[in-house]
This record gives sequence, structure tokens and C-alpha cells, in this order.
Amino acid sequence: MTDTALSLCNVSKAFGQMQIIRGVNLDIKKGERHAIIGPNGAGKTTLFNLISGRFRLSSGEILLNGARVDHLPPHRINRMGLSRSFQITSIFHRLSVFENLRCALLWSMGYRYSFWTPLWRQRELNARTDLMLEQLNLASRRDTLAGLLSYADQRALEIGMTIAGGASVILLDEPTAGMSNTETDNAVELIRRVSKGKTLVMVEHDMKVVFDLADVITVLVYGQVIASGPPQAVRANPAVQEAYLGALAA
Amino acid sequence: MSGSRPVQSRIQGWVWIAALVAAIAMPWVFYNYHTGRHSGFVVSMLSQMGMMTILALSYNMLLGQAGLFSLCHATFFGIGGYATIHFLTLAGDGSLPLPLELFPLLAGLSGLGLAIVFGYMATKQRATAFAMITLGIGELMTTAALMFHHFFGGEGGVNSNRMIGHSLLGFKYGAAIQVYYLIVGWTVISALAMLYLTRTPLGRMANASRDNFERVQFMGYDPRMVRFLQFALSGFFAGIGGGLYAITYEIVTFDALAAPLSANALLMAYIGGTSAFGGPILGAVLITLLQSGVSLMSNSWLVYVGALFISMVIFAPNGIMGLIAAHDPIVRGGRFGRLIVPYAKVLVPGIVMVLGFIGLVELASFLTIGAAQGKTLVLFGTRIDDHAPLPWLSAGLCLVGGGLWFGREARSFRRVWQGLMAELQPKRSLA
Repeated sequence: MTDTALSLCNVSKAFGQMQIIRGVNLDIKKGERHAIIGPNGAGKTTLFNLISGRFRLSSGEILLNGARVDHLPPHRINRMGLSRSFQITSIFHRLSVFENLRCALLWSMGYRYSFWTPLWRQRELNARTDLMLEQLNLASRRDTLAGLLSYADQRALEIGMTIAGGASVILLDEPTAGMSNTETDNAVELIRRVSKGKTLVMVEHDMKVVFDLADVITVLVYGQVIASGPPQAVRANPAVQEAYLGALAA
Repeated sequence: MSGSRPVQSRIQGWVWIAALVAAIAMPWVFYNYHTGRHSGFVVSMLSQMGMMTILALSYNMLLGQAGLFSLCHATFFGIGGYATIHFLTLAGDGSLPLPLELFPLLAGLSGLGLAIVFGYMATKQRATAFAMITLGIGELMTTAALMFHHFFGGEGGVNSNRMIGHSLLGFKYGAAIQVYYLIVGWTVISALAMLYLTRTPLGRMANASRDNFERVQFMGYDPRMVRFLQFALSGFFAGIGGGLYAITYEIVTFDALAAPLSANALLMAYIGGTSAFGGPILGAVLITLLQSGVSLMSNSWLVYVGALFISMVIFAPNGIMGLIAAHDPIVRGGRFGRLIVPYAKVLVPGIVMVLGFIGLVELASFLTIGAAQGKTLVLFGTRIDDHAPLPWLSAGLCLVGGGLWFGREARSFRRVWQGLMAELQPKRSLA
């Protein structure tokens, strides 16, 4: 059990009469790079919102590193080692790139709600923020307001903010959506680099990205898992071909 | 870009020091050396500026820094005032042996205490729901102030005497000028403390939850806790302002915690500019000037405050400091000289337009309120008949004609501005 990072047991979610997630069972191993794919409206983002605590489950259980998290608010789940990015870029627009990343480091470095610690004198915090900037290739944009960055840079910043806190499980919601081919390649490279040694779960539409990055692929259709396994097995699965990949090819 | 940063902050440092020197020297500029007396009007206006600075800065901890639109900020200012009156009475009886200089701190703690109670309720929500709750809190407190006579003294308020005979510095605080310097001292301390707060983890996370409260949650922070702490601390500083108010006037009525003062806090912070730390200070000085200066000259000063507020919201949503900051790239690019002529061209019709507006407002005001008070409108020694058509026509012409002319010049100004910005663009991206 201990090598399972994230475990979903019979997870369901309904909005009113609408059943969005219908009894999903999923185990994600530690260190695995796991992609969740499926047609539009399959409930991929909803599943992320359930795992990260943004929505409450209708029924079922979610375990993070063996501990139940499905009743906890997002910030508590985050403190237990799970972090996520958003489909729509979610950064602090009126703060500089440096401040964005530094905010992402604060909790994990134990600053909590301190209103007496002068940030400018925290050497280790500031050095680590600058190191992150280097890793993200954003050092030259250090003092730019995040809202003024190019789209690709904003996405890179968001990935950086997602991993900065040192979470062991990372959820990325369509990290390359809306990017050009070169930008996508850079983003894949970045994700590969920063997710080393971590458990990565991502929702992605770009099949090239999925087959490039993922060790395991889960296919979600109408709120149900129809297949889960290594890329080759999933690609060969007739149900998947019919429901999803076939639809793309047609 | 990194090269000009220290220059900029050095300039900012000098502006702060100049403002402080001006605050200290100002009473002596208006000192009457014949009678050997201070101008009571100037000292009381300056004192008011000090308290309003604290109020506006503490309000901006919510509006500008945390994105919280509060409608009950005067509650904490007022409670600081009421508490201070009672503390002063206790001290007068000899049962509170504290120097007067420390009373604003007690007032701050009173503000903090109440802000913890109300903040617990209000910060459960954010955005519109938060604003609604604070509106309710403000009304609740106004009603309470009229209901609980023992503490609030009803409509007459409560009063006391600031000369408690206890001072760290050996002052009696009989003269208003001594109280003024006490206010300057506390204003500086409070402003520095609030500036410091913006550079701590809590201050930064308040900015972060203003920009995107959901992201904050996924970084381990409970945005509600951030809101709550920020709210409580802003109540602390508002309380200090209220304490100084009580010491200055020695009487506190429910005006000190009612909605108009909360609205004033909003007005000052917004007009000065919520995105720069110094904005609310500028707003507090400006609005106090309007309130004490223009209100002596005109019955309709509130109309001018309203017109100013509306034009700021429409044309300069980042306040005066935002307007100044917008010039930053042009000044740094050394192109400010190219704006002087266009500015002059806009200024002339602007003045004509504003004069026309003032003319109409004053004519209307003299026709109604002025007539009731038996006043007549006198301009440059000539009496102006507010029933005759000529003054109305000329004022109307100034407003409409000036407005059209201003609109034309403003458009060409915008072209010059955009041209300058475009010129500076490639340079900036290289840096």
C-alpha cells in the first residue's frame, strides 16, 4: 500500500441530477507519470477538482500517501503534499514573477502567517526563489509583473508555482493547452525536468505530449474509467479506440 | 531596468523625508509672529490630516492590498475614539497611571479587539458577500452607539479631558500644537509599521489572495485566515487613528464610527491610489484640504468631492499615484519634455471647463441654499445676480465649449502619449 501515492476508491460526483463522475477506481504509484485522457466533458477536470479538494465528493474515498483527504479543504490537502495547476492560467497578475514564486515557497519553508518576518532579509528563501527562476528560464523576467508575461511564460511560471512548495504529488491540468509546437516541446522538457522523483498526474489533450511523458494512461469517458495501463496497452485497447482515439482519427 | 531601481527608491526616500519635514514645519509657516500664536485653523486641519492618513492607510490594507471592499472601517476608528475617552476619564481619576503618549496604543488594541470579533464573521466571505457583511456591521455599530448610552453617550457622545498630567516627554498637551506633534509621531510610527507589514509573509499573501484566492489555497494557505489577520491588523491601526481623534477633540460622538466616515476612508484611499503604498496618504491630505479649505469657501464642496471621485473612477482608476506611475517609463526614457506642450494644451481648456462647472454649481447653490442664508454671490468685488441669464449662459458656455475643446485636445494628447509609449517599447524589451 505504501508505494501508492494517490488512491481513488469508488469516487462519484453529482451536480444536482447530473452524474459527472461515476464510481472511479484508480491507484497511482509513487514516482509514476500518469496521464488522464478522454473526450471533452468526460469529467477530467472535475476529477482533479475532487482530488485537490476544490469540490466535495458525493461518495467514495480518496487517499493521499495512505491518508484520507476527501473531507479536507484544499490548503490542508496541499500541506499533505499535493499541488495542482489550473487549466486557465492561475497566477498572481499584479505581483512580480519573483514574488509569485516566493509566495509559492512560503508555507513549505515554515513562514506561515507571520506578520513580523521581513521577507527581504530571508536569505535562503530568496536564494531558493532565484534558483527556481533559473530552472524555469524566467530569471530575465524576475521583476516583470506576472500579468505582463507572454502566455507560454505564464504557463511555465504556473508550473513552477505548482512544484515550488515541494509537493510529492503534482496535478497538471492541460499544461500545454494553447501553446505553439516549440512552446509545447519546451513545456514537456520543463515538466520532465521538474517532475523528476515526484508523482505526476496530468490531464492533457495533446496525444504527443501524453505519449512522450506518461508511464501510465487512464482513459475517462462519461465519468468512468474504461481503460488504464501502459501507453502501448491503452493504444491497443479496442474500447479506447472506439471511444476516443478512433473518434480523433475519423 | 535594474540600474534605475535604486535611483527610483532613493527619490522615493527623499519624497518621504520631504513630506515629514513639511508636516513638522507647516504650523510654523502659518505662525503669527506678531501675536505669537499658531493658526488654530491650520493646526486643526493638519491634525485632521494626520488622523485621516492613518485611517486611509489602514483602509488600504484591506482595499488595495487584500482586495477587500469594506464598508465599516470607521467602526474600528470610532471604537478607538470611544475607548480612549473612557481611558482618559479613568486616567483623570488616577486609576490608569499611563502617559498620554501611550493612549493611542490602547485605542489600537480596542480597535484590534473589535476587529477580531467582527472580522471573524466578515472574513468568512470575500468579494460582494464580504462587503454586504461589513455594511451590516457598520449599521449595527451606529445603532449600538445610539442605544447603549453608558458607553457611547447617545447622540451627545462622550467627552473627557486630555490633560491627565502624565507624559513621557513632559508636555501638558494643553495646546493644540503639542497634540499635533503627538499625532505626527503616531502617524509616522503607524505608516512605517504598515509599510513593514506589506513586506512580510502575511502582507505578501494578502496581495496574493487579492489577485487569486484559489491559487493561494493550493499553496498551503487558508485565504480566510489571511483575510482575517489582515482585517484584524487594519482594525488595530484604525483604532490608533481614533485614539488620536479622541485626544484632539476630547469628545467622540457616533460620527466617528458612522457610515460617512467609512465612505471617506474609501474616498481617500481610492483618489490617492490604492496600488501604491503612499496613495492613501496623498488622498487623505487632499480630501482633508477639500473638507476644511473648500468647505469654508463654498456650500457645495461635497459636490466637488463627488465630481472628483466620479472622474477618478472613470478616468484614473488607479488614483493620483497611478497617474504618476504611468509616467514612469516616459521619464526614465528621458522623453518627459515632449509632454509639456501637450499638457499645457490640455490644461487650458480643462481649466475653462472646470470653471464653467464651478460657475453653474455655485449659481445653483446661491439660488437655493445661499438665498435661504441671505448670502449674495460676489466675484472680484462685483455682485453677481443669480437670477439674470448672463451668468448662467456664460458658465454654461464655458462648461460645454471648454468640454468640447478639452475633448479634442485630450484626443491629440492621447496620440502623443501612445506615440511616446510605442517609441519606448523596443528599448524596454531589450533591457
